[in-house]
Amino acid sequence: MFSYFDVLSVQILFSSFILMANKRIKSYIKTFRIQSLLIALTAGAMGFSLEKGRIDLLVVCLLIIVLKVILIPNMLEKTYASVEYIVEKDFILNIPILVILSCALVVFSYFSVSTIEGINSGIINAQIVNSMSVILIGLFFMISRKKAIGQIVGFLVVENGLYVTALFSTHGLPFIVDLGVFIDVLTAVVIMGFMVFNISEKFDSIDIEKLNKLRG
Amino acid sequence: MGFVLLAAPIIAVLLFLFCSKRTLQHTVSVLTSTVLLITAVFITRGVLLWGKIEYQALGGIFYVDSLSIIVLDIVLIISFLVSIYSVSYMENEIKNEKIAPGKLKIFYVLKYSFIFTMILALTVKNMGIMWIAIEATTLASAFLVSFYSNRYALEAAWKYIIICSVGIALALLGIIFLHLSSIEVLHGSQYLDWPALCENAKLLNPSVVRLAFIFILVGFGTKAGLAPMHTWLPDAHSQAPSPVSALLSGVLLNSAMYGIIRTVAIVNRNLGSNAYVGRLLIAVGVLSIATAAIFIITQRDYKRLLAYSSIEHMGIIAVAVGVFTPLSIFGALLHMINHSFTKSMLFLSSGRVLQKYSTKDISKTKGVLRVIPITGTAFLLGLFAIAGTPPFSVFASKLNIAISIFEIGGFWLGAIFLLLLAVVFVGIALNLFRIFYGQDYVQDKKTSTPSAESNFAGIAVIMVLLTIISITGIFIPYELKELVLNAQNIIIGS
Repeated sequence: MFSYFDVLSVQILFSSFILMANKRIKSYIKTFRIQSLLIALTAGAMGFSLEKGRIDLLVVCLLIIVLKVILIPNMLEKTYASVEYIVEKDFILNIPILVILSCALVVFSYFSVSTIEGINSGIINAQIVNSMSVILIGLFFMISRKKAIGQIVGFLVVENGLYVTALFSTHGLPFIVDLGVFIDVLTAVVIMGFMVFNISEKFDSIDIEKLNKLRG
Repeated sequence: MGFVLLAAPIIAVLLFLFCSKRTLQHTVSVLTSTVLLITAVFITRGVLLWGKIEYQALGGIFYVDSLSIIVLDIVLIISFLVSIYSVSYMENEIKNEKIAPGKLKIFYVLKYSFIFTMILALTVKNMGIMWIAIEATTLASAFLVSFYSNRYALEAAWKYIIICSVGIALALLGIIFLHLSSIEVLHGSQYLDWPALCENAKLLNPSVVRLAFIFILVGFGTKAGLAPMHTWLPDAHSQAPSPVSALLSGVLLNSAMYGIIRTVAIVNRNLGSNAYVGRLLIAVGVLSIATAAIFIITQRDYKRLLAYSSIEHMGIIAVAVGVFTPLSIFGALLHMINHSFTKSMLFLSSGRVLQKYSTKDISKTKGVLRVIPITGTAFLLGLFAIAGTPPFSVFASKLNIAISIFEIGGFWLGAIFLLLLAVVFVGIALNLFRIFYGQDYVQDKKTSTPSAESNFAGIAVIMVLLTIISITGIFIPYELKELVLNAQNIIIGS
């Protein structure tokens, strides 16, 4: 059973590497879909395999599929379709360097998690290392992309990473909190999408490097 | 009774969606905030009598004690005053064609959703739900920041929503770790409940609690505007409409700080000493004051200057919580109250200056005292107050905090603290006092609305705030002292 979750956590980590290596905004959204599907699978599997059976985790699994696999990516694609411009280079460094730096982040989170007693009982908990790395890679993704939609996807990956960390370390937060977090994420994406739309209207671009008027 | 607090803003939001007349919208807004204020009086009485108010309904999420009632009262009093002020302010904006008449409805809907999320954050005992509410404050206020929807406002709003959402996501990680540290101690229904965590604090896993604290400090610290996570704050505060700036600065920052204080109470009980938390908070606090001091000295925009001053004051509160003696906690809570009232008064006055001059540039604003004498005087006195001049209340709480720093033997810390405060004072004096004198540059008399100074409600609100900060500087009412002392016991543990 344990190795089963190990595999899933490694796959989730791997999907964020794929995200880092993606070049086009459309493929970011696709990768995000896959990652969310993997997370839904993890939640579902955990709901079945825990001793008493956790119905709330199954509900959460369904919610993730509806929200993060279907609804949010569709919304992002729609936003992107309405603000589409000529494809430019979107990333700051080139992709191999970004991937190598992401590897460094995994190593970093391995060493920092392994120094904390209580998270790991003797052996280092690989699942938490992997999910913390997903958070770090999500943050790194946000600063490595110049387009506003890339930042939204990065934010969603951070949120995914948080959820997986909660799942692997504590078998999920209390149900009401999970529910609230989902509502928050959904609202955040709606608001950010709307704002991207406004930005592209006022600035004729969704390049966030043009947002540099307010200083000092 | 307590659920009125949560229900009233929701009902108001629904009502706004249905009424299209502007006068009706203003009426609903003022009525709702009056209802909230009256409810606050009753709940404060209840807390004074029984120490805390808890309801069993809805899984017992409603919980108000002396600590939350202090912040809650600040929220409700300021939102009441701001809603009175907004009536004339928004009417003026519509008259000057800054915003379309139809947008008033959106303004009120967003404002009351914003107030609802803040009330929710302060009346729940579950740390997870508190996190959700604090994240929701960002979402509700994002469109208020971009309300004028010009380039600057959009840039400010984008920075605001991205930095705050990511920052606060880290706080969620902290809360997950807090949950992890308590998972073997608490039972299912108690998970993440603050009173339960606090009671069993000694049994939590200390190394995980330490990790949790760092993430929560960074997360809620982003929202509270502590340096180096403060970069969204000056943009958002200067671009938002002035009533919203007053709410953001006077109320929102406190809600985030409240989250940090709740966590500090748990962590210090768990670790048994203040060494770990104190060092982190003092470092972040001093850094915030220093950053603010540098930017205040070189500032050219008066609303941004006020925003940087908010960063400074949040830094002062962080230092005071970091010192963690009874006196410093007392000072921190008082400072929270005093800063909120003073700063919202300043933002409201600056809103009137802005409407008169239509520029935020300090060098283009001259002769405020002659052009709008009453507001101008209040603005000048408010600036003296926020810089820490007696007899205003900010001086009293700053003095408390400074004494408490010297009492724990932190001579160098105290010296740096006072030096930085002096630098801030000089910065405010150097930059802002020059707007009050000199030739008035109100170029063409046509654009300046003749009704600007005859707008009694706005002036009355500013006067009420001025009275509050002058009186509490000299004497603290018995009830307030009682509440602050109780809150101090809650934080430190008696």
